[in-house]
This record gives sequence, C-alpha cells and structure tokens, in this order.
Amino acid sequence: MILKILSVIAPVFVCAGIGFLWGRTGRPFDTRMVGALALNIGMPCLAFSTLTELKVSPEAFATMAGAYALAMVCFLAVGLAVITVLKLPAHTYLPVFTSSNTGNMGLPLCLFAFGPEGLALGIGIFVMSSLFSFTVGWSIYAGRFAADVFYNNPLIYAVALALAFMIPGVEPPAWLANTTKLIGGLAIPLMIVSLGVAIANMRAQGAVTIIGISVVKLLAGFAVGYGLAEALGLEGAARGTLIIECAMPVAVHNYMFAQRFNRNAADTASMILISTVIALAMLPLLMLVVL
Amino acid sequence: MDLAYQLAGIVAPVFICIAIGIGWARFGPPFDTEFITSLVYNIGVPCLIVATFQKVRLTPEALGELALATLACYAAFAVAAYALVKLARLDVPSYLPALIFPLTASMGMPVCYFAFGDLGLALAIVFFAIGAIGTFTVGAAIAEGSWSAGRLARTPVLYAILIAVVLQLADLRMPDWIFNTTNLLGAMVIPAQLVALGVSLLQLQVGGIARSGALGLFRLAMGAAVGFGIAEAFGLEGVARAVVILQSAMPVAVSSYLFAQQFHRKPEEVAGMVVVSTAVSVVTLPLLLVLLL
Repeated sequence: MILKILSVIAPVFVCAGIGFLWGRTGRPFDTRMVGALALNIGMPCLAFSTLTELKVSPEAFATMAGAYALAMVCFLAVGLAVITVLKLPAHTYLPVFTSSNTGNMGLPLCLFAFGPEGLALGIGIFVMSSLFSFTVGWSIYAGRFAADVFYNNPLIYAVALALAFMIPGVEPPAWLANTTKLIGGLAIPLMIVSLGVAIANMRAQGAVTIIGISVVKLLAGFAVGYGLAEALGLEGAARGTLIIECAMPVAVHNYMFAQRFNRNAADTASMILISTVIALAMLPLLMLVVL
Repeated sequence: MDLAYQLAGIVAPVFICIAIGIGWARFGPPFDTEFITSLVYNIGVPCLIVATFQKVRLTPEALGELALATLACYAAFAVAAYALVKLARLDVPSYLPALIFPLTASMGMPVCYFAFGDLGLALAIVFFAIGAIGTFTVGAAIAEGSWSAGRLARTPVLYAILIAVVLQLADLRMPDWIFNTTNLLGAMVIPAQLVALGVSLLQLQVGGIARSGALGLFRLAMGAAVGFGIAEAFGLEGVARAVVILQSAMPVAVSSYLFAQQFHRKPEEVAGMVVVSTAVSVVTLPLLLVLLL
C-alpha cells in the first residue's frame, strides 16, 4: 500500500520539486510560454486523446462534470459564508474557494491512482473547473461579466470533438490519435514543473486569517467531495477522482488574475502557497482514503 | 489505402508538431528555444531514456549488435562527409559536423516509435545516445577546434544511458514511483523538441541556399545509402534494420546549427542545410517508410 501511494504521489513531488529548484536557482523559466504550450496546445490534445481511447463512457464523463458542478455550488456557499463572517471582499477571496488546482496537481494524481480511466474522469472535472474559473472566477476578479474567455479556450473545442467520437463509440484515425497522444504528453509534466516554479517565486505571509481560510478551503473541499461521492453513490475510480479533485489546493491562476486586476495579489499568493504545502503534506492520507 | 493510412499515422504527428512550431513562431508569443532545449535535454531526455528501457528489455547481444552497427554508421558518415568536404574544398569545421549528425532525437525517435512501438523507440534511443555522445564530444570538438571532457561529464544524458545500460544488463527493474515519474517527464521530450524545431526553422537565418541545399540533400542520400549498407553488412533484420536505416537517413541535426552559431562556423550555411533537408524529408521519409514497413 505504501509503495502504491508512493507511485501515485512521487511524480507530483518530483516534478514540482524540479520546478521549485529550477525557480530557486534562478534559471530562466518562461512561465507564460510554458503555460501557453501546456494549456493551449498540450491540454486540448491530452483531453482529446484520453477521451477518445474510449475507456470511459460519455455518461460517466458527464456524471463527473455534473458532480463537480454540484461541488462548486457547495464551494461557493462555503466561500460566501466565510467571507460574510470575516467581512472580506468577495472579489479577492471568493474565487479562492471555487478555483482549485484540478489540472496541474489533480490530473497526475487521478492518472497514477486509477490509470487512463482516472485521467479521463479527471478531465471531466478539469473541463468543468476551467470553464468555471475562466468565466465566473475571472468575472469575480474583473468585477464584470466576461464570456469571451469561454469560447477562446481551445479545450472546449477539443472536448466537443472528442465527444463526437465518444458518443457513437468510434476510434479516431491513427494520424489524429497519434498526433494528439504525442502532443498531449506535454501537458502534465509542464504544468507540474510550472507549479513548482510558481511556488518558488511566491512569498507567504502567515497571517492567521490567511492560514485559516486555506485550512477551511481544504477541509471543506475534502468534505464536499467525500459527501457528494457518498450521496451520488459513486464507486471506485469515479469516487476516488471526485474526492481527489475536490481536495485540491487553491489554483495558481488565481494569482495571475489577482495581479491583473489589482486584487491583493500578496494575500492570494499566500493562500496558494499555504494550501499547496498543506495539501502536499496531506496527499498520503488522501490516497489512503481513495485507493 | 491501408499503407497510406499507416504512413499518415507515422509521419503526421511529426510534421503536425513542426507545423505548430512554425505557426507559433509566426503568430504566437515569444518562444525561448534555448530554454526549452535546456529543459528537454537536462530533464526530459534522461527521463525518457530511463523510462523507455524499463518498458523494453533488449538482450545484451541485441544491444551490443545495434551499438556496433550505429558506430559503423557514424564512422561511415564521417568518412563520406570528410571525402565530400575535401573534394569540394569546403571548410572542415563548418560543414563536417552538419553532414555527419542526423536529426535522431526530435525526428528519428517519434518516427521509429509510431512505426514500431516501444521497441522501435528503444532502438532509436540507442542510435541517438551514441550519436549524442559523439555530438557533444567529437562534433563540438571539430566545431570548436579543441577537445573538452568537461562537456561530456556535465551531460545528464550520459548518466541516464549508464543507468539504463546497467538496468538492462543486470535485468533490474526500477520501482513504480521512479518509473511513473520518469515516464511522465520523458513524454514531453518529443513534442517539445518538434515544436522547437518548427520554431527554429522559421527563425534560422538562411544564406547561400544553393550550396547548403545541395549539401542537405547529400546528407539525406548518403545517410540512407550508409543505413542500407550497414544494415546489410551486419545482417540486421526486422525492427533493428528499419531503425538503423531510418535514423541514418534523418535530415541535418539542428544541434549542428547551434554549435555552428556558438563557434561562428558559418551558421547561415548550416541553417540552409537544416531547412532544405528537413523540407525534403517530408517527401523522402514516407518513401523510405514504404520500403521498410
């Protein structure tokens, strides 16, 4: 069991560690380019390639996306409750509850815990999570509603194309399957290494509120995931994937949004850093629950 | 029709990735080729080597035979290239490395992988690894005009090769956690390199297209001829034969351009050789595959 857990979490630790050292030693790391390469090119290909391997039915995929949508409603409620009690501004603190690292940390865990099936289910959650982050999350930071990010995201088109193959159960032609599989290989390693670099470049201030919010976010995430999996009667990979993804720390892109809209980026960085460190430390326990 | 379908499955990933790189260089944000190369060579390639040799077990005989055949190929490339350079009265340090070293990593590996699966990739890596050691020692020494052992000792690829060879010969398996990690990191190598190749193709400052074009064509034709000859001479069969021929017939390596640039050895001419031989391989590679599949 220990070896199984190690085989799931080691890739995340080692890759993030490489990124962390890379960042700390001051080697140049073009985060913007790596982000574009991983998210605009790698991720759509990974989603298409994983989904069209047909390890997961369209129903199971939709179930995961739906379950995570319910989870996000719960996260919103928890977030609203916390900021009301603490009298904090929603534009900085609400997205912290709803946007999690479902991609760069969640997907490799789903992959190594449950194989290609876990990755396909995790992608269902990741798609829902990125749609939400880049529309509602973005709008909360910006203070106005924006939907253009929605149709500018190549991931949407990749998933739509994948569904066109999944629903009739047809395999894509070899040239397309091979190409997307090859390029998809970029997404996860580049995302985790970038996570390590981002952590290396962030500074945390340990104010009690910040630590408290980070802990509440993680505990609420785990509780919501666990509860929803029970309530929906999910089992095996579906249950594990939902619990893993719900328990992920605050997403790194919150920091970019906070910087861009001048929303207390320092606090956001602290919450990302603290929640990530706690989540990493808790990973063995999390795996014990889901495996 | 079946053959066309199969060919598309092998060459499309390679040329689509290169096209993405070209598109990125044209329309995308700045692409730092040097940084990607550093990430790929210091982290990705060593992981790819270690992970691939966990998946594929070669017998010591097969490994040894392929290594010898590869060395013979490089020796033949060197002799043929030296003869041409002397006959045409060209500058040795500028042209010799570019004519010798084929694009075994970014193009050879994916072609061999999609044509012959993990076994094809493992054999392609053996061919690449021997060439990489050569590029970083002999190739750089020719371009630089001096020998440097320190460069080799600082190459993580070398340590990965040693680990892979020891694991193979001792028939040891790595624990899952190392395999999962290296397999994940290794997966970025081929796409990142191909995209970077596409970016470089558009950024290269090409000069003297007639002469460099002819030299690029010479690399392709000479490589294929040497590959067939050596495979025949060593009595190679099946996947090993195909991999030796494919790897030998790859276009001019981009690393030759980087060295030429670093040591001011006519980088524009080498760039021309890279661009022409890569462009021509769009046609010659499928033809070669038809003969080998």
